[in-house]
Amino acid sequence: MRKLIFLLVAALLAVPVAHASERHPTLNELEGEVMCPVCGTTLDQSSSPAAQQIKRVIASRIAAGDTKSQIENQLVAEYGDAILAAPQHKGLGLLAWWLPIAGIIAAAAIVGAGAWRWSRRREPLPAGPPLDPILEARLNDELSRLDD
Amino acid sequence: MTRSVRLAAQGLAIALVVGLLALLIWRVANDSNKGVSQALRDGQHPTAPAFDLSRLDGRGRIDLASLRGKKPIVLDFWASWCVPCIHESKRLEAARKQYGNRVAFIGVDTKDFSGDARSWQRKHGITYPSVHDGSGGVLTKWGGLPIPRIFFVARSGKVVGELIVEEDLPRYLRQIAAS
Repeated sequence: MRKLIFLLVAALLAVPVAHASERHPTLNELEGEVMCPVCGTTLDQSSSPAAQQIKRVIASRIAAGDTKSQIENQLVAEYGDAILAAPQHKGLGLLAWWLPIAGIIAAAAIVGAGAWRWSRRREPLPAGPPLDPILEARLNDELSRLDD
Repeated sequence: MTRSVRLAAQGLAIALVVGLLALLIWRVANDSNKGVSQALRDGQHPTAPAFDLSRLDGRGRIDLASLRGKKPIVLDFWASWCVPCIHESKRLEAARKQYGNRVAFIGVDTKDFSGDARSWQRKHGITYPSVHDGSGGVLTKWGGLPIPRIFFVARSGKVVGELIVEEDLPRYLRQIAAS
């Protein structure tokens, strides 16, 4: 219960931070989320002329007061979807975000259902043959002697 | 679950795996295609891959296929962040004065900001029209990075050659102008 409360509080605290990041993005943050179109890495790992150019444009858009979405949309309009390191949370991009999660949930459900069926199908172990009365008497005798 | 349903489900799963494997193989085989540049190196003269892109100056679009049979073309892939592109584009601009009435000079600004590209053209006095290939999709079909890449297309639409050394420019220009 305490863990659940902790998670809820953490989630509530994260909302304003995400909102601030949307309204006031930083160059550092966007450098990790935007790809360099000629080197196949994010901007923060590249010093190529093409990456420098995009960094300059992002810095100028931040200075002009653009939101993170506005900057990302401008980049996508110029370079296409591949300029973003992760797909946007809209349109077909949503599929990329939710399909793996749906796959994991479906796989867990299938494995769970399989395990449940398997455990229910198991029949109780058959009882062994009845013990010989002489042996049973001897066993009882031994056990009672141990108790003493 | 009946036996037939179970068999059908297993068959479907196997078909899915085989399908995905075939798709992977097809993709790998297709990726090995390096485009026009590689074809030229292999001694072939492929038909110029078509594109229909917006002009940088905002004056409509250029449809490469529509020029087939009408005019030979010099195609220049460049970007404003590309330093060697300045020299090559200026050479093409100079050549245009001699061949501009017989040959179409077209630039393809690739993986670039269109605003920066327009400033770059003004700054370096490049006047032949350019289209914007922001994603680099057209460049990939012609051979990909690095740029500059300059191709010469005959009137028939066949790619005659790519500029590799300085002397290629006058040689190929003469060849396509006569095509």
